[in-house]
Amino acid sequence: MLALEMFRSLPRHVAAKAVGGRIPGVLSGPVAPLRLVTIEEPAVGKPGWAPLRTRLSGVCGSDLGALSGRTSLYFSALVSLPLVPGHEVVAELLADCEDIPAGTRVVVDPILQCAARGVDPCDACRVGSTNRCDRITVGHLSPGLQTGFCADTGGGWGEQLTAHRSQLHGVPDELSDEQAVLIEPIACAVHTALRAKVGRGEHVLVSGAGSVGLLATLALRSLTDAGQITVVAKHGHQRELARALGATDVVAPDEVLRGVRRSTQAFHVKPQFGSSYLLGGVDVAIDAVGSKQSLETALHATKAGGRVVMSGMPRGADLSAAWFRELEVIGAYASARREPGADGRGAFDIATELAGEAMLKEIAGAVVSYPLHRWREALDHAHSAGRLGTVKVAFDPRSTR
Amino acid sequence: MVTASRSSRPLGGAVADVRQVARGWRWGRRSMVPRSAEQYVEDAESSVFPTAWSRRTPAIALREVAQKGALEPLFRSQVRPYVEGLDVLTRVRGPVIFVANHASHLDTPLILLSLPDEWRRRTAVAAAADYFFDTWWRAVGSAVLFNTFPIERRGGSLAATPAEVLADGWNLVVFPEGTRSSDGWLGKFRMGAAWLAIDNRVPVIPVAHRGTFAAMPRGQGWPSPGRRPVTLRFGEPLHPGQGESARDFAPRIRDAVAALLDEDRTSWWDARRRAAAGATPDPAGPDVAQWRRVWTQSAPPRLPGTAQRRSTWRRLPRGRRQAS
Amino acid sequence: MSRPGFVLEVDDRTPPIIVHEGEGFRLEDFPLGTRVIYPPESLPALPDVEAAIRHALLNPEGSAPLPELLTAGMRLTIAFDDISIPLPPMRSPDIRQRIIEAVLTMAADAGVDDVELISANALHRRLTGAELKSIVGERVFRSFYPQGLLYNHDAEDHANLLHVGLTDQGEDVEINRRAAESDLLVYVNVNLVAMDGGHKSVPIGLASYKSLKHHHNSKTMVHSHSFMDHTKSHLHHSAWRMGRMLADHLKIFTIETTLNNNVFPPPYEFLLKREWEWSVKDQASMLAIRRGLAVAPDRLKHKMFHDLRAPYGLTGVHAGETEAVHEKTIANVHRQQLVDVQGQTDVLVMGVPYLGPYNVSSTMNPILATCMGLGYYFNSYRGQPLVRKGGAVILYHPVKPDFNQLHHPSYVDFYEEVLSESTDPAVIEAKFEAQYATDPWYIHLYRTSHAYHGVHPFYMWYWAAHAMDHVGDVIWVGADRRAVQRLGFRAASSLADALEIASGTVGSSPSITYLRNPPHMIADVH
Repeated sequence: MLALEMFRSLPRHVAAKAVGGRIPGVLSGPVAPLRLVTIEEPAVGKPGWAPLRTRLSGVCGSDLGALSGRTSLYFSALVSLPLVPGHEVVAELLADCEDIPAGTRVVVDPILQCAARGVDPCDACRVGSTNRCDRITVGHLSPGLQTGFCADTGGGWGEQLTAHRSQLHGVPDELSDEQAVLIEPIACAVHTALRAKVGRGEHVLVSGAGSVGLLATLALRSLTDAGQITVVAKHGHQRELARALGATDVVAPDEVLRGVRRSTQAFHVKPQFGSSYLLGGVDVAIDAVGSKQSLETALHATKAGGRVVMSGMPRGADLSAAWFRELEVIGAYASARREPGADGRGAFDIATELAGEAMLKEIAGAVVSYPLHRWREALDHAHSAGRLGTVKVAFDPRSTR
Repeated sequence: MVTASRSSRPLGGAVADVRQVARGWRWGRRSMVPRSAEQYVEDAESSVFPTAWSRRTPAIALREVAQKGALEPLFRSQVRPYVEGLDVLTRVRGPVIFVANHASHLDTPLILLSLPDEWRRRTAVAAAADYFFDTWWRAVGSAVLFNTFPIERRGGSLAATPAEVLADGWNLVVFPEGTRSSDGWLGKFRMGAAWLAIDNRVPVIPVAHRGTFAAMPRGQGWPSPGRRPVTLRFGEPLHPGQGESARDFAPRIRDAVAALLDEDRTSWWDARRRAAAGATPDPAGPDVAQWRRVWTQSAPPRLPGTAQRRSTWRRLPRGRRQAS
Repeated sequence: MSRPGFVLEVDDRTPPIIVHEGEGFRLEDFPLGTRVIYPPESLPALPDVEAAIRHALLNPEGSAPLPELLTAGMRLTIAFDDISIPLPPMRSPDIRQRIIEAVLTMAADAGVDDVELISANALHRRLTGAELKSIVGERVFRSFYPQGLLYNHDAEDHANLLHVGLTDQGEDVEINRRAAESDLLVYVNVNLVAMDGGHKSVPIGLASYKSLKHHHNSKTMVHSHSFMDHTKSHLHHSAWRMGRMLADHLKIFTIETTLNNNVFPPPYEFLLKREWEWSVKDQASMLAIRRGLAVAPDRLKHKMFHDLRAPYGLTGVHAGETEAVHEKTIANVHRQQLVDVQGQTDVLVMGVPYLGPYNVSSTMNPILATCMGLGYYFNSYRGQPLVRKGGAVILYHPVKPDFNQLHHPSYVDFYEEVLSESTDPAVIEAKFEAQYATDPWYIHLYRTSHAYHGVHPFYMWYWAAHAMDHVGDVIWVGADRRAVQRLGFRAASSLADALEIASGTVGSSPSITYLRNPPHMIADVH
């Protein structure tokens, strides 16, 4: 089968790390440690595993981060190379998988937790917090925190992959493939919104209006009683989408502190040689980008005792505010099988409901899909998606054009 | 957008600006006043063309070359000047004001070129600011060639320069009629020259000339062919009396010029007698039809006391002479 | 002899005409038939300023001579107009300095010990020490500033405000406590435009927000036709009521001055001349300055303009009872600024220059540019507006969304938050004004830094309320398109384009009138 394979290449990794962030063209060019190859269909050969044919698989920010070497080396122990990326997957079963018949359209919860690995459930998995699984390096499979980061399972960026029954969620017929491919990111957003524990009428800042930020806005509006939701958006269409998804106001990145200061009547101070910050600010801030600047914006715009949720994969930031303002800095990784904040419902179930919303039809209609062989183009597009006005770029391995 | 493209192409912007200003302000042509603004435009008395440079050494040297090397030969090739009365200049010391009647553009070169060199080099000519100084090239040309400086003929008061020029020791040539006569006869005398003489305590030398109207009347750009005779006569210097007003002094000057014209036409003695009797013919001419006034003046002056010079050789017809 | 202002009709003989646009100017070829209103030429200045001041103080209108009002042991307060006038700032010595020195000399002679000087800046930014010094002069500054006796009025210092009472229409009159409790308040004014002075000085310059909001609101502003004519301005009517009430409580000795139109020093004096009278030298300096501006970096341009100091001449100084004085002052202002204009126009063109009252040594941001064009210039009329109801206004200004964070912090938020929501003065007022006026951060900056009060951008927007209510289209030439869009107006790249846009409301051959200021003028529209 055809698949895009990410392989170990120290020179490319270093080169991508050095320039990938600055010159995105290089990322999709010769230095990306990615290649289109013909490989054996992945198979695990243990009970509960079944092959899937990919219909659509999204390109996530973390994929781009891995390809450009910006991901922290912390994660190097949690992946196994060579791998086929792609963890936002809508696919159809090629064989019966326990109770699900072949031919069923499913989305994949990418987390390879205890059940998939054939080990006894860890403490986290036992209560359904599958995203916190401790056994992601052992068992039947090579190390890999998710499908798409594991050498044995394959990923969405190939024609086929394999998944465990515990990962599969059926897709209602009324959802298109484009809507379905958004279910995984929506599930993450649901998890983020629930982790944020927003109180009634609280003011929330969402820093970033890429797919993570926009979907988080949707989830916040749908699942919480947030009052004002301020979204930081760089590009014109992002502003409109953010409003449509429930933001009360939208500010540009350089206006964030001023805008938040105005609506919260906080005080604005500027240290010597540093970025300015607020004394006072929003109740909850969500960093939906993961950059240093975005995380600092969130830290600096949150009032004392407030909460900062890291939804993007974070990079180093000045944590002084977290200490001085006694902020609750919390992570929000992927999604749980049973969300404690939603009476134990699964994030994917909630996400599947949200994916049918009218607003999302519009976003889903704008999903751009590429065949595998045009992967350079696809990555280039994904890298500048915000500027180009695209929310989600996906691979369609069935397509040949 | 506009400013961005401008600043990125400063040269192109500069060219466009200069072009707009050149067109808007009619560079090289006369400036114009919008019709609706005409009533608010001040008389341009303040726009005095600076001429001090034309009385400094380089300009004097240039003028000497121009006058002696070009103007004088040209002038003598076109008219035949007869000059009398230069001896008065031995009896006065400069500066003085030469006051003359004005009938033609030939008057100025005639007077200047008739003066002895040391006088000529120290003589400046008052010229109408609105005519000679309204374009820079005419102003520069006349200042170099004739040592003119601007005076205001409309406003009645002379600009400050004449007194300064006098104070610097320059003689002045003033045409108190203020403009060239339209028919060759004497017009009204303005009082500017009298004022100047009184204010600066300098004598006035009356000067009368005849024939320039006949040779090159108003409206003609070049002397008529035939080397017509022109006469020039300097009179006795007039000193303003103690406490004499310009109103009294101006008529005295005019009378002196009138007497000189009379003398030029007849003889010194006849003119003196008529002047004593108060019977000097009115230099303003008879009150007759305009054509008769012009007719009289357009005849070349008959030179008194001398018969028409006889040519030994009969003159050749005009066309032939030019051919030779 | 200075010539009166007049209305030029552009014909085939008319050279291009100067139009100011921010830190720069352009030459515009107006369509034939355009009317251009020229201000009167600068009036001759009073030859002996000191004698004129002395005469005014010793022979006041409707009051005893100043020396008789000064007694040993009294509390004397001198308030003066802040740096927002005159524009551009006056070449040293400032006229306020000369007057204050004269007043202080008399006070010293009378043995007055308790003297304080207050800059009447209402909700304007605090002046820096250097700015105060430039207004009052070195002698006064050195004598009072270090002791804290020369200071800025603080409209948020509740301990030092005194609620004097209510007018018959229930308006709060609350002013600076020191001024209100003085035995004599001397107010030193510069009456740059007809809007200034009179009872606008004390009841507004020394007032609190509580008092100001009775007349500084969108409703009053829409009904001030125009505020360059205090007899027809609701804003002034309110101020007059307050002033009369204050005059019953407090002895006020008003000193008002008027300046001539001599606003541009060399080498910019060609900007004051009528274009067809430009000499070759004028044309050359214009070209040189224009080319210089084209290549100069923004900072240098800013400096070039903001370092201008105008060689004003004094045309009048009057002292005594406020209303009697103001009548004479207004007559002087009219003598210098009034131009007769016959009939209204379809399209009014105005160039917004680099400077308005609220951006001295600062940036003219989009809100201030709007205030300058649609507030000040549009209202420079007496009788009826220059442009007909529903007509179009074309303004020239770059309208760059640049804000001075020191001086205009609330403007940025107003621009980003309020204007993106609505540009209707009434809507803005109802939804946002109170939030901004009470924002503790703005109050903090106003009181301790050099920021305009949080509510100030609202007032600027209200200034333009009458114009926005009156005209159909507002089109900015040469402006930042997005900024203009945010303001709710339209942008054009040239006059021709602007007229094309306006043709929707005024037709394809509208009558056009260009108000050629600065210097300031008032069109007396019949």
